Amino acid sequence: MSSITVDNLSKRYDDVVAVDSLSFSVERGEIFGFLGPNGAGKTTTIRTLLGLIAPSAGTATVLGADVHDEDALIEAKRRIGYLPANLGFNDEATGAEVLDYHESVKGGSRRDELLEIFTPPVERPIREYSTGNKRMLGIVQAFMHDPELVIMDEPTSGLDPLKQEEFNEFARNERDRGKTLFFSSHVLSEVRRVCDRVGVLREGVLVGLEDVDTLLRQGGKRVHIQTTDEARTDLTEIDGVIDVQTFAEGIQFIYTGEYNTLLRELATHDVREIEISEPPLEDIFMRYYGSDGGVEPNQEVQSDA
Amino acid sequence: MLETTRYEISRRVRGTTILTVGVSLYVAFIVWYFSLLDPSAYEQIAESLPPAMLDAFGMQSIGSIEGWLGGQIYTFLWLLGLGIYFAYASAAVIAGDIESDRMDLLLSFPVSRSQLLVEKFAALLLPLIALNVVVGGVTYGLVLAIGETIDPMHLALAHLLSIPYLLVCAAIGTVLSVLADRSAVAERAAIGLIFVLWLVESAVGAAEDFAWIQNLSPTHYYAPTPVLIDGSYELVDTGILVAAFLGLLVASQVLFQRRDI
Repeated sequence: MSSITVDNLSKRYDDVVAVDSLSFSVERGEIFGFLGPNGAGKTTTIRTLLGLIAPSAGTATVLGADVHDEDALIEAKRRIGYLPANLGFNDEATGAEVLDYHESVKGGSRRDELLEIFTPPVERPIREYSTGNKRMLGIVQAFMHDPELVIMDEPTSGLDPLKQEEFNEFARNERDRGKTLFFSSHVLSEVRRVCDRVGVLREGVLVGLEDVDTLLRQGGKRVHIQTTDEARTDLTEIDGVIDVQTFAEGIQFIYTGEYNTLLRELATHDVREIEISEPPLEDIFMRYYGSDGGVEPNQEVQSDA
Repeated sequence: MLETTRYEISRRVRGTTILTVGVSLYVAFIVWYFSLLDPSAYEQIAESLPPAMLDAFGMQSIGSIEGWLGGQIYTFLWLLGLGIYFAYASAAVIAGDIESDRMDLLLSFPVSRSQLLVEKFAALLLPLIALNVVVGGVTYGLVLAIGETIDPMHLALAHLLSIPYLLVCAAIGTVLSVLADRSAVAERAAIGLIFVLWLVESAVGAAEDFAWIQNLSPTHYYAPTPVLIDGSYELVDTGILVAAFLGLLVASQVLFQRRDI
């Protein structure tokens, strides 16, 4: 049984379409990344799943409960954790007071264990918290009642790299314990490290449903080189070089081919500076899904969960 | 059940204490001031005022301690001041949580929206009860301290009957809170609305053709001065207030249920 099913879900605000006929499902026991640039409709989808906003058309179920059915959804929420993108807490309350409140409503069997991994200063008032501390408090409340399904909106934003890594490891362990994790992100590198499958959303439309390896193969690398004129011309002729931009001192392109070919070619030229990085997610979408949404939506792929 | 009420009450303790002490000090000042007055002179001044004004400020037998308290404290501070306060305080209850994104987390709880709303509203009972009990007690003590007497039953009744009135004001604030996205908007609307309703009732009272308009104002159904003077009140008025309170609360639940957060 799927933990989340989204069926032709649409949400319109006056003349703006935030989410357009979205369909996908998240299987039990997988980490599903919901990927897309800011403003793609990720948060709208997530908030619909929790019953915060009503769909304009279509529907969705979480743990079997239809989002239109408040009673069923309330029952399901006992087994759901939620980490919103913007965390609101009462500033004058301490972290411990907030967790006490959450524990009284939904339970907190894992609270102490979680506070050993994520370490917000629970004795201090929340107004003194950094963004990272607030995020950690949010993570603790999302998992403290040991939910089956945890829905997270940009869970690692504001966490320092060390805590991000701890979070990723924690997420994988939770998956291994049989939990389902659904999270949105606009950072490809984050999603690739933890997710089994990803859904890619752009302008409210699901433009791809892939396992992570496929997405990364398609992603390529952004190569930025400072070099001479003739090297620039030679490089653009290699297979797999696309999106070329040249400027006074060098060249930048996306490389999707074999690494060795590129390195051999580079070795024959005078390279003064080189930077190889992950391309922005937006670029990957533009290239592989085209400006009109390209690929068949909802294409099914094998999950490796 | 009531976890949210408990949490919200714990957050209201400080504000309630400050408010209760503040109101008690004001009462102390008013009672002390009465002890300095020559009551008959004051009665003469009151007679020279236009009836509409006497009505608006609940001035009746102003030379007696009951009339004095009714005009200076119960009609002005209690009816207008606390009416506005409770409308203002409840206006922030839902809109404030939505504006600060707290509502996202609260609605991830396995709790229905209507229950959440009622639980949050219920936390307002702390200032409501604390003010009535403490200020009522303080007033009685102070009146005795300046050598005057007041019927404790009348005083208690004036406080008791103010509760449905203040609940209506709080429920008006709650409806506005559910409709608005920002607490500042709901709060300003609540202050404005209670003030206008009070003004309408006071101003229109004299004009017979428009007298029906005053029926719209909750202030029309709570008249503390006669209660203090001779314990007289209309039970039907209290019934109307209770019905209005329940109606507004249900309306806010329905509106909250239907809106997107």
